[in-house]
Amino acid sequence: LWCLLRPGAAGQGQSAAVCSPSCSCDEDGGADCSGRGLTAVPAGLSTFTYYLDLSMNNITELPAYVFKNFPYLEELRLAGNDLSFIHPEALSGLHQLKVLMLQNNQLKTVPSAALKNLHSLQSLRLDANHITAVPDDSFEDLQQLRHLWLDDNNLTEVPISSLRHQANLQALTLALNRILYIPDNAFANLTSLVVLHLHNNRIKEIGDNCFAGLVNLETLDLNFNNLMVFPRAIEALPKLKELGFHSNDIGSIPEGAFHNNPLLRTIHLYDNPLSFVGASAFQNLSDLHSLMLRGASMMQDFPILTWTNNLESLTLSGTKISSIPSDLCEDLKLLRTLDLSYNQIELLPSFHGCMRLQEISFQHNRIQQIDRDTFHGLSALRLLDLSRNEVRLIHRDAFLSLTALTNLDLSLNSLTVIPTSGLGSLSQLKLSGNPQMKNVLTAKNLPKLRSISVPYAYQCCAFVGCDSATSPSEEHDLKKSAGGEDVDRVSMIMHCSPSPGAFKPCEHLLGNWMIR
Amino acid sequence: TEGPPACPKGCDRCSEYNGCIKCKPKLFIFLERNDIRQIGVCLASCPMGYFGMRNPEGNNRCTQCKIDNCEACFNRNFCTKCKDGLYSHSGRCYVSCPPGQRTANETMEC
Repeated sequence: LWCLLRPGAAGQGQSAAVCSPSCSCDEDGGADCSGRGLTAVPAGLSTFTYYLDLSMNNITELPAYVFKNFPYLEELRLAGNDLSFIHPEALSGLHQLKVLMLQNNQLKTVPSAALKNLHSLQSLRLDANHITAVPDDSFEDLQQLRHLWLDDNNLTEVPISSLRHQANLQALTLALNRILYIPDNAFANLTSLVVLHLHNNRIKEIGDNCFAGLVNLETLDLNFNNLMVFPRAIEALPKLKELGFHSNDIGSIPEGAFHNNPLLRTIHLYDNPLSFVGASAFQNLSDLHSLMLRGASMMQDFPILTWTNNLESLTLSGTKISSIPSDLCEDLKLLRTLDLSYNQIELLPSFHGCMRLQEISFQHNRIQQIDRDTFHGLSALRLLDLSRNEVRLIHRDAFLSLTALTNLDLSLNSLTVIPTSGLGSLSQLKLSGNPQMKNVLTAKNLPKLRSISVPYAYQCCAFVGCDSATSPSEEHDLKKSAGGEDVDRVSMIMHCSPSPGAFKPCEHLLGNWMIR
Repeated sequence: TEGPPACPKGCDRCSEYNGCIKCKPKLFIFLERNDIRQIGVCLASCPMGYFGMRNPEGNNRCTQCKIDNCEACFNRNFCTKCKDGLYSHSGRCYVSCPPGQRTANETMEC
């Protein structure tokens, strides 16, 4: 019946909505009294008001029965006032209230008495107050509560007792408080909880059964805390999809760490002093799209990734890993970026099965040679970084398939020559730091090359023409004919370093210096 | 200009061209689009389709919900209010409830 009485339904006859001079009202029963410098709830509002915004005013307290004339109110916004006291009877009569916003006020405790009888309340915002205590009976009558914000307050522990009856609660944030410890069964009855934010607290330790009961939890955010041990309590979370514990003090990830969390899609674990990662930690995570592990300095074994077969990005750097499993690409067919830099890898298997690979970095390893089939079939590869290795030998067909490669970094290796077949799309090539590579390079197979770094300045003459060696008119002809196929010295829009200027003393006086 | 007198309510630092640059503690900055310009506004609660992301440094910002058919959200992936006529389940919005889920029409939930 009541919906017939709402302005939208019953108010057709009224030409203009009943309103207060301090507010602007619409004909649907919405009243916006925000930011008007009010110190009290304004008079003159329609009894059919269902949405009342009093935020960003200067209301310091709510007296008894102040909303008694609003039986149809569904959303009440009191955010951004200076509320420090709410009379126990202040919210009496608000039986239809679904959303109550009290964030950004001066409350020191949860106004539990005032919240009584709000039987329809679904969303309660208490964030950004100064709450230090949550009375046990705070939310007792709020059986429809779905979303509760208690973040950015001064809580030092999880308000366990007050949450004990919240079987319908779906989203809870206790972030940005001063919580130190999570005891076992802290959230035992929250069987409907889907999201739990605990980031930016001081959590140092958690009970192994602290998440017991959270059978529907999908998102758990423990970022920016002081955890020293891997949170094994996540074993109680079979539906977990998003897990964050980056920026903690966790030293190792145990074997089988996520064996009870098969639905995981994202794991944020960076900025932890990881020294060890169990090889079996990340297997059977078929929904995982990205895995980023940096600086696990004691890790020696490449992680087992069987059935983690939807991985699109894998970063594993700063470890003692010295070999890559030859069957890696049997599991990781969807891989697009692979970063194995700063490890101790010596031999590369064939990455033939990883057909979607677009970016590979093996920078700073101990790789000595590239075989014919190492990169065979990687026609989508755009970026390949092999710098800072010990590569002496690259098979002449090693790059044949790399028709989309634009950036190739082979700097700081032990190369004497490089194959260029297949590099028709290459625009940037880095070869500096290969002291044995003294031969004159040619741009013949590199029509799209725009930037090259070479070991010696004179080698740039093949690309940009030396000042003293070519007169301006010759330079002009070269640019005009640059479109021709077999032009050895392309000096179009090409950047070559170190550039062969007149004052650049040649580091090597013998042999090729004579071409100047 | 620096300082509150010329800045809008809730703002600690503002510029003529960009509106508020730094909000008072605990408020959220929302970047309102005005043609090609973005004007900073300080809010205690973010507008429809956005949620408030708090962080200890104090630069709290309104961030867009990433859920289809959602009017208000708890975080990027969890909706607290679906558009009219849609059912909500585990923070997402459905035209009809997923298989195996019963519809609760009074609260529009599955």
